[in-house]
This record gives sequence, structure tokens and C-alpha cells, in this order.
Amino acid sequence: MNQGLHIPEELLDQIEYILAHLAEKAHTDSIVLADISGQVISLQGIMDEGTPAVVAALAAGDVAAMAELSKRIGEDDPHGSFFHEGETRSIYLHNIAGSFILIVIFRAETPIGLVRLFAKRAVEQLVPITKEFEKVMGPPKDYNPDDFSKGITQELEETFGNE
Amino acid sequence: MFINWKLREINLKIVYYGPSLSGKTSSLQYIHSRTKPERRGELISLKTREDRTLYFDYMQFEMGEISGLKPRFNIYTVPGQVYYRGTRKLVLKGVDGIVFVADSQIKRLDENVEAIKDLFEDLEELGFVPEEIPLILQCNKRDLPEIMPVLFLKENLGLNGVPTFESVAVDGVGVLDGLKTIINQVVTKARGKINSTPA
Repeated sequence: MNQGLHIPEELLDQIEYILAHLAEKAHTDSIVLADISGQVISLQGIMDEGTPAVVAALAAGDVAAMAELSKRIGEDDPHGSFFHEGETRSIYLHNIAGSFILIVIFRAETPIGLVRLFAKRAVEQLVPITKEFEKVMGPPKDYNPDDFSKGITQELEETFGNE
Repeated sequence: MFINWKLREINLKIVYYGPSLSGKTSSLQYIHSRTKPERRGELISLKTREDRTLYFDYMQFEMGEISGLKPRFNIYTVPGQVYYRGTRKLVLKGVDGIVFVADSQIKRLDENVEAIKDLFEDLEELGFVPEEIPLILQCNKRDLPEIMPVLFLKENLGLNGVPTFESVAVDGVGVLDGLKTIINQVVTKARGKINSTPA
């Protein structure tokens, strides 16, 4: 995890397909796949700009807290799941192999059993793909990292202005 | 670091770490206030009833496309109180760069030393080599009386050679200078990683 993730297009396409299937079958509003450090990997559905990042960061905190709670009662399951039942929308979180988090947001009238069933199937499909992440690396040939470094200084000024 | 080559995004994580009440949240609030609205996300703070950081504070900002890649920075603070060590450790997962916010007051020396010790221990437990993580020191509260000389503080923290900034976070003094430095360090390291990964 601490070496960073470089996910190529082919794997992202596979993830999107799995999440789209889950969204269709379980009638979800939106789905976020995040890594355990809170970075968004893929989004299915519509969210306001910036919201997926916040959702992923908060879910990562939640999953980590729940994992610690589970340990206190003698459970040590990196595949645990839990959900928040809301009045209009609910959230289902699934820890994928201790490294990734599936976050499913759905309307309160959608049965949780339906979401849980198809989310578990999606997780089974996602596990082998996430294991591939670390093996497949390397940027596209047209990417020049030196230009990237040079451009940062200018962008910092653009983002914050001068002090 | 997470690079999404399909969307051409690079996500980097920077954590503001330090003892309680050293100015981590104030630093993040200032950064948020100074980031152009169209480039920043919401500032999220998970606080206790006493207005202290419980889980973390969080914000994201992005930059314009550089060399075909859009950088997004995820900035976190950790709760400083000793009993929230578990939370601090989880926030450090996947970290790319750290700003250690020290409280410059003489009476807070022990808390600073304990915090830097915890930081290195947490990083090791997470599988990092602490010396390889980009780190800067932000000596905060420089406007208060009875503060330590910067060199004395650095020496006691074992951070000689680490880029150091004097700050007054509540007024924003020195905060952006530190942030820009850690971003440059993080980006330089990310460039090295990208260069060394097999295609």
C-alpha cells in the first residue's frame, strides 16, 4: 500500500463494469470504490464535485474504527461489512481484504438484503482485480514526469496566489 | 499516491501531525481559506463536543492539468491527544508527505518529543521507512512569549536537516510556505517512483 497504486485503464474498465452491474441489480444511487487510505478509485452514479473524495475519506475512517471495534470483541475479519440506515438514504460499507472499501449508497425503500446480496457478489469479483493492482504498473509512453515537476511551482501560485 | 491513468489523475496524501493544540487544525483552516474556491473541496472536521479533533480534519484541492496529469491533494490532520493514537495511525495509511506541527512553547517540549516518537513508531508499524517519507517541520506559535529557539527544538526532535518553517497558524504566517515545500518534495518523490516503475 505504501508504495502507491497505479491502476491501468483495463482494470478500471473491469471495475466500472462490476460496479455498474451492482448498481443495476441492487437499485443503488451511487457506489464508490476507495482504497483503505481514503482515495477514490472508481465512482458509479452521480455525486456533486468533491463529494466522492469526502465520502471515501470518511468511509476509510469508519472502516478502520469498525475493524478496531471488531478486534476488541475477538473478531479479526478483514472482509467485514456494516451499514447505516437512514430515513431517505442508507449506506452500506464493505471492507475488501483489508485494503479496499466498497461504499454503496441506496434509497431507504431498497431492501438491505438485496444490496448485501449483490454487493457480496461484486466483492467476490473485485478481490482478484484488486490483487492485480500492485503487479501492473507504469505510465503511458507519452507521459513526461520532468514536465510534471516543473509545472507544479506555477500551479501552486495559481492555487493559492502569492502570500 | 494513487494514479488513475484512465482519468489522468494523481492523488497524493499529506498529513499534518503533531501534539495536541499545536495548530494543525488552524493550519488546515488557513490553507482552506486561501485555496481558490473553484479548486478546493469542503473542509470536513470531525470534532468532539469540546471542539477538539476526534477523527481528523480533511480537505481536498486540485491543480490544473500538468503534463497531461491532474494533481489532487488530500490533506488531513490527526487528533493530537495521546489517547487517539489509533486514529492517528489510520490517518497515516498511504501517506505521501508529513508536516510536523510543533508547539514552540518551552512548556510543550515533552509533548513535541513524544509526538515525533509516536510518528516514527506509527510509520514503522505501517511498513514505511520513516526517513524516506518527505517531512517538514512547522514550528508554530512563534508569536507567543517563552518559546524555544528553532535550532533547540529541531535538535530535541532529532529533525536536524529537515526543512523548517516558523509559523503563526491562526494568522496564516508561514503556513503556505510549508505546504508548498512539502508539495514540492512529495511531487519530486512521486516523479522518482513513476520513473522507476516498470512499464
